[in-house]
This record gives sequence, C-alpha cells and structure tokens, in this order.
Amino acid sequence: MPTFLLAVRLRLVGSLLAAVGMIAVLLMVGALFPAVGDSIGKLDLPEGVAELLGGADYGSLTGWFRSEIGAVYGPLVIGATAITAAAGSTAGEEEQGILAIVLAHPVDRSRLILAKGAAAAVGVAIVAIGTWIGLLTGVAVAGGGIGLAGITGLAVHLLLFGLVVGALALAVAAATGRKAVAIASASAFAVLGFLVNGFAPLVDAIEWLKYVSPFYWYDESDPIANGVDLGDLAVLAAATALLTVAAAILVRRRDLRG
Amino acid sequence: MAERAAIRTEGLTKDYGDGNGLFDLDLEIERGEVFGFLGPNGAGKSTTMRLLLDLIAPTRGSASLLALDSHGDSLAIRRRVGYLPGDFELYPKLTGTVVLDYLAGLRGGVDMQVRAGLAERFDAPLERPIGDLSTGNRQKIGLIQAFMHEPELLILDEPIAGLDPLVQESFHALLGEVTGAGRTVFLSSHTLSEVERVADRVAILRAGRLMVVDSLESLRAIAVQRLEVGFGGVPPPPERFLPIAGVRSATLQGAHMLISFEGSADPLVKELAEHDVRSIRSRDDDLEEIFLRFYRGEEG
Repeated sequence: MPTFLLAVRLRLVGSLLAAVGMIAVLLMVGALFPAVGDSIGKLDLPEGVAELLGGADYGSLTGWFRSEIGAVYGPLVIGATAITAAAGSTAGEEEQGILAIVLAHPVDRSRLILAKGAAAAVGVAIVAIGTWIGLLTGVAVAGGGIGLAGITGLAVHLLLFGLVVGALALAVAAATGRKAVAIASASAFAVLGFLVNGFAPLVDAIEWLKYVSPFYWYDESDPIANGVDLGDLAVLAAATALLTVAAAILVRRRDLRG
Repeated sequence: MAERAAIRTEGLTKDYGDGNGLFDLDLEIERGEVFGFLGPNGAGKSTTMRLLLDLIAPTRGSASLLALDSHGDSLAIRRRVGYLPGDFELYPKLTGTVVLDYLAGLRGGVDMQVRAGLAERFDAPLERPIGDLSTGNRQKIGLIQAFMHEPELLILDEPIAGLDPLVQESFHALLGEVTGAGRTVFLSSHTLSEVERVADRVAILRAGRLMVVDSLESLRAIAVQRLEVGFGGVPPPPERFLPIAGVRSATLQGAHMLISFEGSADPLVKELAEHDVRSIRSRDDDLEEIFLRFYRGEEG
C-alpha cells in the first residue's frame, strides 16, 4: 500500500496535466467542428488510409470526433501515459538504483510490481476521465449530436486500450529491468497494432493478424457511435490481466540490475 | 542451539563470466562484531552484499543470515536487517522526510524517536528535495533508513563514502553503540583507514576471491612497520641491518635511516642499541602496506 500511494503521488501531476490537456484539445476540436464540418465533409481517401484515420468522415460530429480523437490522438496520449508510468516506476527506478533500497525492505517483489502497475492504472484512469469530460464539453460546444453512451463508450475503450499497452510495458520492464526496452517494445507493439489494424483487413492472407492488435479490440465496435462493447472490453481486460500476472512472475526470476 | 553466526556463507559464488564476480566465498561473521570487508573497486564486495539481500541470486553456494536462508527466508531476513547500498538513489524530487516515511511504512513499527535521533545525530537535511543534496547529505539519509528500525544486522556498502569528518565521528560512535547492544555490522570499504578504527576483524577480497580473514590485531602483527632513525655522528651502513630477523629494507636519507620490518621489533631494537641513536620516529602507514600487498596479490 505505501508503494501504491507513493507511485500515484509521483505521477499525479503528470496525469492531471495530461487530462487537462485532453480536455483543452477536445474543447478546441468541438469548437472547430461548425467551421470545418461543412467545408471538408467526407474525404475521398484510399480505404486503408481512411481506416487509419477512423473513417475520415469529417461531415458528421461523430465522424469528426472519431477521426480527431478516437483514431490517433486519444490512443497516443493514453498509451504514452500508461507506458511511461508502467516502465518508469519499475525498470526506471531499478536503473536509478532506487529499488535496491526499496527491495532491501520486507517487500515482496511481485507485490511491488503489482502496486506500481495499479498506480500506473490510476494515471491512465485520470486521463480517461479527462477524455470523458472533454468529450462531454467538446460535443456541447459543437452543438451536441453524440449521446452519453457514445462518449462513455469511447472513454472506456480508451481506458482499456491504455491499460493493455501499459501492462505490456510493465511485463517487459519486470522481465528485463530495462526502461528503454520496455518503452520501445510497448510503443512498437502499439504502432504496429495501429498499422496492422488498418491494413491487415485488406489482405486476406494476414487478415487474422488484426486480432493481435489492441486497436482492433479498441475500435472495431466503433464505440463513439455504438457505446461500450463488453466483449471487446473483456478481451482487452483479459490481456491486461494476463500481462500483469506475467509481470509479477517474471520479476521474481532475475537479478536486480544497477 | 542458537546459531552463533550473524552471517555464514558456504561456497557462495556469482559468476558473471570473464572472471568477474565472486567465487567460493566461505565467510563467518559472528554476532556483535564489526566486520570490515575490504578490497579494491570491482573485487566483489557489493556483489556479496547484494547476494546476502537476495537482490541477485547466486550461481552456486549458499548464505544464511541470522540462521535464515538468504533466498528462502529473504522477507524474514529483510525485516531484521538494515542495508545501505554502495550506489543508490532515492526519489530526487521528494524530501528526505517523505522518503523516510515511505520506507518506514514498508517496514512498519519504526520508532519515530529513533529516526529523529538519527537525523539529529547526522544533522541530516530532511526538508529539501533529495536531488538537491550533496553526496554526503544523501548518504546521511541512506544511513538513517538503514539504522532507523534498529536492525539486528547492518550490511553497509561503503558507508563512509562522502561523509565529512565530523559525521564520520558520529557514525563511528553509532557503530560503537550498535555493537555494544549486541548487534552486528558488516561494512565494506576500499580503503583500510576507513574501517581500521571500527572493525574487529577484516576480510580482504581481490578479484572475487577471499584473500585473508583476520583480526586487525593479527594483521598488525604481520604488518610492515617503518621506523625513521636518527643517528649521532656518522650513521652505520644500512647493510648492517638487513640480516636482522624481520627487516625488509634499510635506506639512508641524509642523517636518517628508514628501516621497515615485520613482526617483533625486538631484534632490531637490540641492534640499534649498539649505536648512538638520537631519535626514533614511527611512520604510521604500516597497515596499508599489507593491504596493498594483498590487493596486488604478492604474498608475503
């Protein structure tokens, strides 16, 4: 418990700033819609590219928020928050030489990793709540048009997306004790997942690859239009749980670095 | 029967490859003693301590602390041990107070008065961010966290590094109180002078292997001592002293002769008595010599 509280405290300002930034961006995005919505309309892009941009339908408010926030910006901010928190509070502190003192105390290594993971999840939740508030206000500024179900759907799907990439960073950090490796591999997984989710469906032979991508489970149900999809969320939650358990086990089996 | 040893290692080995690590360490440290662990940087001192704390796992061999297995009973051990790593960092943005609160929370049952007493003794700046502190001041916070729960066994890696002389005094006094209460201190250093005043026994480690374990007294007995002898009139030729038992060298420096010898001074003093000796001055850099000899691996 002390470890969880301290880890939350250390990241609180950063998470709050990310949440406030998210609200500000969503307000601007909402404010821009009346001016942009009519003039751009639906872009005529190749299917794969349009898919990457969340459909690129700038003519409707749902399409506008889906493309501006849901497709790239939201996952980017929440993913970065999750990955840096998970890797920094574990492998980062190990490399700094902080964990050498902490683990000389009567603290079980697995519990320490779980506490750090839980604290990172709090940071991710703060950003997700910021997204929810931002969507509510942004949509209101744009004149309304997306229901509470869609707003909550996107925020909750983002939350689970952040948790799963954060859990991957936690597992790699726990297994290697290297912050850079953890950040790089979780980021690469997210970026590749983004590309795979966009392009794999276009090629029959690798269509199945999309199921490996967290982006598929994050956006296949189009949460901003349809609200939460419990099945997709369950997949993301299960992957998060699995990776977190892996982190707790892997950290026991190696020498502390530094 | 209660285990007498505070720390016992058997064939403890950590092989990092390329000849680095720690090899076949057999060591027994008794309760209530201050045990100095000496060796140049990279000799394996920190590796040994990290093995004892279960921060790293041995390649082979075993260790027990307070009669508990270093790996299997690690949590129980860590409750009763205080550890200061050689090279540590503590949340640079937080103050010493916040960090010590956290660490005390991990242990539970830390007496705030003991902690405050340590802070006062070391004059530790606890209200400034740790990142702003000098090495010595950060070291004080490291020492407070190691001592604040009054552990039965202290494992201190280079504890004196960076401390100014006044704080070293307080540290030495603290060690005296700790061992007076029957608690054990295992501390490392790469210079003898740091442990000479406090350690009962020392071990010397070189390139991952234990060279010698002995009391400081016995090491002194085999140490090379140096005398600077001033003669009245013409000094005798230095060669005269070389055949005397224990004498290793004798050289003339102006009117003075520098004589270094091992063991008893008696034969040398008897010989000197034959001459007109005006002054005898002892050079006190005696023990370092032995240590350097072990460091370099040149036996006797």
